[in-house]
Amino acid sequence: MFGKILIANRGEIAVRIIRACKEMGIETVSVFSEADKDALHVHMADESYCIGPAPVSESYLNMTSILTTAVETGAEAIHPGYGLLSENAKFAELCKACNIAFIGPEPEILRKMGDKDQARRTMKEAGIPVIAGSDAFDDAQEALEKAKEIGFPLLIKARSGGGGRGIRLVKSEDSFIDQFCTASSESLTAFGDGALYLEKYIYPARHVEVQILADKRGNTIALGERECSVQRKNQKLIEESPSPALTPENRISLWDTAVAAAKAVNYENAGTVEFLLDRDGNFYFMEMNTRLQVEHPVTEMVTGIDLVQWQIRIAAGMPLPFTQADINPKGHAIECRINAEDPYNNYRPSCGTISLLHVPGGPGVRFDSAIYQGYFIPPYYDSMIGKLIVYANTRSEAIRKMIAALSELVAEGIEHNGQLQLDILDDKRFKSGDYDTSFMAEFGR
Amino acid sequence: MFRHDSFKHKKLEPEQARVKRNVPTVPEKLYTKCDGCRKMILNSDLKGNLSVCPVCGKHFRISARDRIALVADRGSFTEWDAELTTIDVLEFPGYKEKLESSQLNSGEKEAAITGQARIYSMPCAICAMEPSFMMGSMGAVVGEKVSRLFERATEARLPVVIFTVSGGARMHEGIISLMQMAKTSGAVKRHSDAGLLYIAVLTDPTTGGVTASFAMEADIILAEPDALIGFAGPRVIEQTIRQKLSPGFQHAEFLLEKGFIDMIVPRGELKKTIGQILALHGGSV
Repeated sequence: MFGKILIANRGEIAVRIIRACKEMGIETVSVFSEADKDALHVHMADESYCIGPAPVSESYLNMTSILTTAVETGAEAIHPGYGLLSENAKFAELCKACNIAFIGPEPEILRKMGDKDQARRTMKEAGIPVIAGSDAFDDAQEALEKAKEIGFPLLIKARSGGGGRGIRLVKSEDSFIDQFCTASSESLTAFGDGALYLEKYIYPARHVEVQILADKRGNTIALGERECSVQRKNQKLIEESPSPALTPENRISLWDTAVAAAKAVNYENAGTVEFLLDRDGNFYFMEMNTRLQVEHPVTEMVTGIDLVQWQIRIAAGMPLPFTQADINPKGHAIECRINAEDPYNNYRPSCGTISLLHVPGGPGVRFDSAIYQGYFIPPYYDSMIGKLIVYANTRSEAIRKMIAALSELVAEGIEHNGQLQLDILDDKRFKSGDYDTSFMAEFGR
Repeated sequence: MFRHDSFKHKKLEPEQARVKRNVPTVPEKLYTKCDGCRKMILNSDLKGNLSVCPVCGKHFRISARDRIALVADRGSFTEWDAELTTIDVLEFPGYKEKLESSQLNSGEKEAAITGQARIYSMPCAICAMEPSFMMGSMGAVVGEKVSRLFERATEARLPVVIFTVSGGARMHEGIISLMQMAKTSGAVKRHSDAGLLYIAVLTDPTTGGVTASFAMEADIILAEPDALIGFAGPRVIEQTIRQKLSPGFQHAEFLLEKGFIDMIVPRGELKKTIGQILALHGGSV
């Protein structure tokens, strides 16, 4: 096992990883930007080092600073959390070159799955159902020919995109060329790659994903699915497990497909296979996230498996002591993302000092966060300030528990989306479980 | 606000025995500290960016062969006079050893590489100087190779493109090295008299006898950003004239302002710019 781990992230996920390390008796090193000197992860870690100014490009994405800190502190492994450097193959390679274990898959897998076009082709070859679509194009005219073949409406997606970014819906042929060119230049700016691929737009559809855990010996298991269809602009708001949309039969089939997808690339460590589920119960591979997900706690609640601890153990070479047969998710878990924004004022981001904080508690209630009373939320980073997770025996009990917990959450001094989450939970469609990715677009109309 | 000791850093026994691993180390040549912005830059990023700092745009020195590869069409370069090597005629103390170590460091026989290449399919005579060979200093062989380059180009009616990087005349060769200034200048003149184009690209540093001869005799003089270009170094001038020099003195931008050079071209645009100039002056694309 590792003696010391550096956490190359911030916010709630850095705190979550530090907690896992502490429980395992592993020393922790945190890194922080100048704007984060008062952040919780800085104080919770055994050692903390400033690695640069506030912009992430100069601090949390500054590979040389992070690697130098790891080497100087003797950290044997780096946990990248989610976002930032977590899916960066080059960073994983550099860690290897410095004799530091990257807690995540091998660089080769990161590269393969990071190229969404290649990932799609790999899955297709492995017999995994993928949405009708195309290979990547640089040329708009060539793409238009293929688009006509696929049919409208369709989605234009960035080959190097991910996390819901770099996606455009094109409803008709007339606007295709314009949209393609704009998407290509946006993608070039955001991801350094202007190539785009096309995908048939499946509508209405649900976003269901399967959590995978795979050790270095090829044992690959599915830890259940998560329903993530409550999204606004491709950003998830509420996640739950199990998905209310799956029958026991297609649940097994979905898990098996996810395991086959992971095995097709010799996947290792924790990962998520994302699927689109149509009205008829058909599901299609969307992408594979080669990292820990924001919404991992709902899986932890229903399986009782600590995913972060298992990521660390797998990276240290430990085999999984359980098999697929041992995985029997129980009960129901829901997660609400608490964002510092004003949903009733065009989702305007909010920053400032938290003057009063009360965190919900009680049995089956978990709040993963890095905020505290007196903490100043800096304007430089993601607006998510916490994740409220509840666990109960049934879905309806979980909804009730979440409503009670949300009602108890107090964070004064900033705006947050707690009220919006309460309104969603109170929505008839959400309560019935019969909702899809159009939910937020139609919500409140 | 929390303090670091707000939390009790109580350590639990490790749940698993610690396995002895390789000590984390940064391998040599993984990154370089940029002199421009003082940032640590990954060597792979630097290489992928034509040895230009991705943060501040500082142009690092590159080898003569990388220079040629940067502008010449792939596979189009044929080297001339590769066999010419220096003889220590003056038996200057330590020169032989210096030559040997430079050859070992740079992998080149001398400080200039000459030959013929195509740029966007347009043929030209090309020369690049090697910074890791005694900082591109000009001795008999460099002077001879440059002179022959112009002579062959005149004969074949080819334009000449030269990338200079040099500390000046090679002091170990005394008067022989100084004589190269006149010799190369003569060859440039005959090439010019034949109505042929000569483009010089001055890179960091271009100084001394090279500046005072063929580097500044081109029809069109380009330079890389922030390149040091001059005859005597700024410190020597300051000590001699006992005056503080203007900021940016002897740097490409300063020289452009004073009309000594025609254009500053970032490395990434060099091939395109040289190609355009060649095409404008009669090269056929």
